[in-house]
Amino acid sequence: LPGLDLRTLARAAAGFALGLALWWGATPQYNRLLAGAAEPVVRFLERPAATRLYAEGREIVIDRSDFPSDSARPGLPADDLTFNVGLFVALAATVRGLARDRGVGRLFVALTLLFVTHAAAVVVNVEFLYAMQLGPWSEAHYGTAARNFWGTAAHFYRVVGIHAVALLLWWALVRDSREEGAPKPEPRGRKRK
Amino acid sequence: MKREQKLFLAKFVAALVIFYAILASRPVDEKVVLPFTTFLVRISTSLLKLAGEPVMSSGTMISSAAFSVDVKNGCNGVEAMLLLVSAMLAFPAPARPRFAGILAGVAIIQAVNLFRIASLFWLGVHHRDVFEVFHAAVWQTLLILLSVAIFLLWSTRLARPRPADAR
Repeated sequence: LPGLDLRTLARAAAGFALGLALWWGATPQYNRLLAGAAEPVVRFLERPAATRLYAEGREIVIDRSDFPSDSARPGLPADDLTFNVGLFVALAATVRGLARDRGVGRLFVALTLLFVTHAAAVVVNVEFLYAMQLGPWSEAHYGTAARNFWGTAAHFYRVVGIHAVALLLWWALVRDSREEGAPKPEPRGRKRK
Repeated sequence: MKREQKLFLAKFVAALVIFYAILASRPVDEKVVLPFTTFLVRISTSLLKLAGEPVMSSGTMISSAAFSVDVKNGCNGVEAMLLLVSAMLAFPAPARPRFAGILAGVAIIQAVNLFRIASLFWLGVHHRDVFEVFHAAVWQTLLILLSVAIFLLWSTRLARPRPADAR
């Protein structure tokens, strides 16, 4: 297990500040990427494919070709789905030597997986909105099992999943990148031949 | 990744899913989580009154003439408790230090969470422009980082060999 000392805490604090600033500043652009990645999946899950997702500021707006043209389009507050970037960067910053060797590759894989989970969270929340929040339309298009499934998935992600994803990616991919990449120390007390 | 680490991860995820299923069920939510949240709201309201804010509480709502908040799941610290308890149960440890760690960890998280609720209300009244970022991201992340720190301190202490073991 990684130790916990003042230096580690300072690195975590700096990482958190950096992650938060990155997340806050890049969210509008990042939301465009997320909308682009989630839209084909949502369309794949529906018949006929009618959903269009687009980013508008800090929201991802949900549009459908069968929505009345004069009705307001619902928006997903994407901040609630992606703020674990700050947690992940704070945890990753505690790993010394992350910028070396295999650390960069592992960090890239972890960030890619984080993006995939964010896109999946958008898909789940769009389906949750369709299944639970559009009144008679929801009841007509989604059965009880589907409504329970999307409701539970969206709630699980918002309550524990969002934090657990960041923790697990850090633990499984980033945390020990240095130990595995570093050469093993030679045993003490023996001379080289 | 070593076998023990994989086992820890598997146990951690299983505990998380089981605890989530229990807490998300309607009876537990209505009989345990909601009264607990109401209790937190009452203490936070008292803290705000001590700080000179003219506030009152009703159920899970804290309100004043200028601002009001409804404390829901996600703001009651339960998610940080869930992560900490799951990690401590997944980590190989004797029963006594495990129980003590869970009790102390949960107490620390909730003490900080009371300050979080009160400070968010104060921000809502006096600095509404930054309320959302503190509500959505800063405090939630800090509370999870706190539970990670508590877990690391606890597990490092357990893993350290005692003088008696070294003999």
